[in-house]
Amino acid sequence: MSTIDTSIGPDRAREIFRAELADVRTDAELQALRTRWVGRNHSWSAAFMEALKTATPEQKKTLGKGANELKKEVEAALAEREASLAAARRPANAVDITLPGRTPRLGHRHPLSLIRDEVGGIFTRLGYQVLEGPEIEDDYHNFEALNMPEEHPARDMQDTFYLQTPIKSVNQTLSLLRTHTSAMQIRHMEQNAPPVRLVAIGPVYRKDELDLTHTPMFHQVEGLVVGKGVTLADLKGTLAAMAEALFPSIRSAVGDGATHSGQAAIRFRPSFFPYTEPSAEVDIQCIKCQGSGCAMCKRTGWIEILGSGMVHPAVFEAVGYDPNEVTGFAFGMGVERVALLKWGVEDIRLFYENDLRFLEQFGL
Amino acid sequence: MKVLLSWIREFVDVPESAEDIGKLMSVRGLALEGLESHGDDVVMDFDVTANRPDCLSMIGIAREIATAYQRPLKVPEGRDFSPASSRADAGIAISIESADLCGRYVGAIADVTVGPSPQWLQDRLIACGIRSISNVVDITNYVLLELGQPMHAFDLDKLAGPGIIVRRAKPGESITTLDGKKRTLTSDMLVIADTARAQAIGGVMGGADSEVCATTRRIVFEAAHFTPSSVRKTSKTLGLKTDASTRFERGMDVTAPARAMARACQLLEQIGAGKAAGTIKDVYPSPQPATSLILERTRVSGLLGMDVPDAHLERILRSLGFDVQSASAEASADRTAGQAGWSITAPAWRVDIKRPVDLIEEVGRHHGFEHLPSTFPGVQQAPAASDPRIGRDRRVRTALLGMGYSEAITFAFIEAVAAEPFLPSTTLGGTAREAPVALANPLSEKFAVMRPSLLPGLIDAVSHNRRHGRRDVQLFEIGTRFSPRGESRGAGFAWTGLASADHWGGARRDVDFFDVKGVVEQLAAVSVVSPAFAETYVPYLVKGRAAAIVVNGQHVGVVGLLDPSIADRRDLPSGDEVYVAEINLDLLTAQATVGTLRAAALPRFPWVVRDVSILVDDALSAGTVRGTIRSAAPGTLIDIREFDRYQGKGIPDGKVSLSLRLTFQSPERTLTDEEVQAGMQHIIDALTRDLQAIQR
Repeated sequence: MSTIDTSIGPDRAREIFRAELADVRTDAELQALRTRWVGRNHSWSAAFMEALKTATPEQKKTLGKGANELKKEVEAALAEREASLAAARRPANAVDITLPGRTPRLGHRHPLSLIRDEVGGIFTRLGYQVLEGPEIEDDYHNFEALNMPEEHPARDMQDTFYLQTPIKSVNQTLSLLRTHTSAMQIRHMEQNAPPVRLVAIGPVYRKDELDLTHTPMFHQVEGLVVGKGVTLADLKGTLAAMAEALFPSIRSAVGDGATHSGQAAIRFRPSFFPYTEPSAEVDIQCIKCQGSGCAMCKRTGWIEILGSGMVHPAVFEAVGYDPNEVTGFAFGMGVERVALLKWGVEDIRLFYENDLRFLEQFGL
Repeated sequence: MKVLLSWIREFVDVPESAEDIGKLMSVRGLALEGLESHGDDVVMDFDVTANRPDCLSMIGIAREIATAYQRPLKVPEGRDFSPASSRADAGIAISIESADLCGRYVGAIADVTVGPSPQWLQDRLIACGIRSISNVVDITNYVLLELGQPMHAFDLDKLAGPGIIVRRAKPGESITTLDGKKRTLTSDMLVIADTARAQAIGGVMGGADSEVCATTRRIVFEAAHFTPSSVRKTSKTLGLKTDASTRFERGMDVTAPARAMARACQLLEQIGAGKAAGTIKDVYPSPQPATSLILERTRVSGLLGMDVPDAHLERILRSLGFDVQSASAEASADRTAGQAGWSITAPAWRVDIKRPVDLIEEVGRHHGFEHLPSTFPGVQQAPAASDPRIGRDRRVRTALLGMGYSEAITFAFIEAVAAEPFLPSTTLGGTAREAPVALANPLSEKFAVMRPSLLPGLIDAVSHNRRHGRRDVQLFEIGTRFSPRGESRGAGFAWTGLASADHWGGARRDVDFFDVKGVVEQLAAVSVVSPAFAETYVPYLVKGRAAAIVVNGQHVGVVGLLDPSIADRRDLPSGDEVYVAEINLDLLTAQATVGTLRAAALPRFPWVVRDVSILVDDALSAGTVRGTIRSAAPGTLIDIREFDRYQGKGIPDGKVSLSLRLTFQSPERTLTDEEVQAGMQHIIDALTRDLQAIQR
């Protein structure tokens, strides 16, 4: 600690005070500093008062002003430090805030349920109604009305589970587990006149052995729009909007906000489904490599996500719509497929094991 | 369909690489599944959709490639086969007895020397995945690959009688097919026979008896047209799928047999395997007219949402083999004026073309779907409401998640034994159970019946987690349950382990009945209904720890402790207590008052609280005590809450001390001490009188 020597003048003394203040860590140190600088006796301020008495009138003028300012400043700095020391002091009833919290239990959403809701939300925004339908169906709604009469080769594409004892009622014989949500298209159109704008979401069943990419039950999203002048281009715009919403990386890859709905985000590949004509399989730009080609997309830059097309006139005829009056588009997308892609899940069976170590990776 | 690039190039000039061709064709309707080099050549494997049997051939794929690249399809020199002559008096005798199953049969006799095929021919077959057998058989397969027309060769000297008979199989008739298997036929199957017996199953496979072998001197070549549905049925019934049946069941070109026969005879001479002896016999009793359609111009852009110039449209269709004629408004006078377009005739190989939309697809895909703009369908009316179950399920899901349950999704089909205890009884309190909805063709015994309840799946999911090191498990599922009476939506949940998350500062307690009952009460609150709980017996819950959930007299679910024997059977660690509950959401919704809800004004007058402690028989339920209080209380009693239940020191055996907190409040005025006291006295009197309660 410095010797009190007022001959160095208030300015040099101020520097000494600042250095000493910087070293103060405790209340006691602060109190000692206070006594030493602004105490009644034997303090720097007392010493300056003393020095003033013997100063020349000339010196008095500057020394008096300097000493006064120094005192004010010291008092203000001490008060400030006192406050900050008080703020840092740990009260007696303090807790160890680093101990673990008492967490209320919170469940986790199933990833398939998250995708279902997300897709439902996207189409609700686009003005669609979201529907669910029966899982046990009759042959008529699942196949025949969808332009797949008995012995149609396309029935091989969807290996079907049948009931041991069909459930018979007055107007139908429920005999199988629906192989696609398309059955819901028919049920809705039978009951409602056009226009139609719906998505149907739910489980479907096909006789596939369990492996990395197949489960005998999976979930599908079916979309159907029917009205005057609905076109294949409308389908493309709609699916591009959905793909961009589900996979934000596609949008950023297009990188041009001016591009109308990201023309390059998806592509149509002509295909065949009995219930649509024209038919197209839809690829999204690879979400991993943004189209430049990688192992995930087999170097094509594209990943298939769904099947779609313009509703076949035979389907309209089956439900009593006039194919000369209305046109429509339909699409069917696997929920598991989207989830696998979106989160990089490598084994589809994980969705049905309900292992909490898996489920807990997803939020609410 | 595996095609060889060199073979394709015989029909179209495509110097482009196989990769480039594959890339373009993938967006024109022929997805490339694989590429592999074969010597200097390349094998391209295209995925041909079920509607395009014409593309199960080199010529078919070449035609698509020619159209995609806007190049002509070439006819190699010497291969322009004019229609073969048909003379009933020459060549081999052919009799079609079942013309509904065989529309055309072309036959030719040839003298042959059987031996190996030349190397180039063998190479081409092998590259395309077909084994080389002998020059004669190889020719039939070569023509199959090149033109798509399946063919067969019979050893003529092994046939009985003067000719070929195409007829339905006789009852009990059998045949040993080329694969060496003896097959019994039914009378709806078509056979190619001699006078004695069946020698081939039409469109599916030839017979071993007349198989061409090393010593064969004379053969009959067959190129025919069979009815798709019949071939499909026969192939399915016999479990016999061949290159021929795959094509016939999808539909073949009825004009192809004659061309194929001419090509086969040409090849026979070309490779020195023999020579056709005499006329090619072509029996085609009722020639099929070609499909002609009117394509209206406005329909094309009306369906696609993009304009295709007339010249493009015409080029595309002509390149694919269609005959395209402009049809003026007058020519299609039966149509509305201004819908002029084209009169189009489909080639015979395009069995998939039935309606104008089929033509629009051809135009659209070859014009290029990449040219489609992205537009949105116009809204013509306000969107209709979604299925109300979706919003309801979301509310229930959110509540369960908030109460700590994670969401499970399990398979809807389960093991029959797992379902058994959960099947509803058919009689009230009886042991007879409803039959499950069973599958006729389950994947395995593990997936044999549709679940009658969500609980078996949840129990298995809990078991899985317990066996993978998880002590505390809370899972729920919202899904469909199945019964012969129909489908219903339920919410089920299962809970094992600690009642609340383990914490350094707290006491540990395992989940008990009242934890799960509380969850059920909260789920009822989601739908704004108040549930009652009644003792119940169900085979999967422990007696005395099970309750039926009742809303307005309607049984909507159960809650309780899972029977340990079931837990044991589903491989749960022994000693695990698993509490479960299941609610029929459809029934619960039917009772919900949330739709007609009116908000009540907040009370303006103070409430008065009185506590009472009584000593009663310990067999007496809290519900009975509450009932007695309610019936004796004035209308101002608004709440009864049990806050202590004590047995033990100071309480006589067989008795229990119950402490209740009663709240009184009036919406109209401030209650006086006197009237509350009078009400309390009334209640205590009733408890003493009716339940022999002793006030403590």
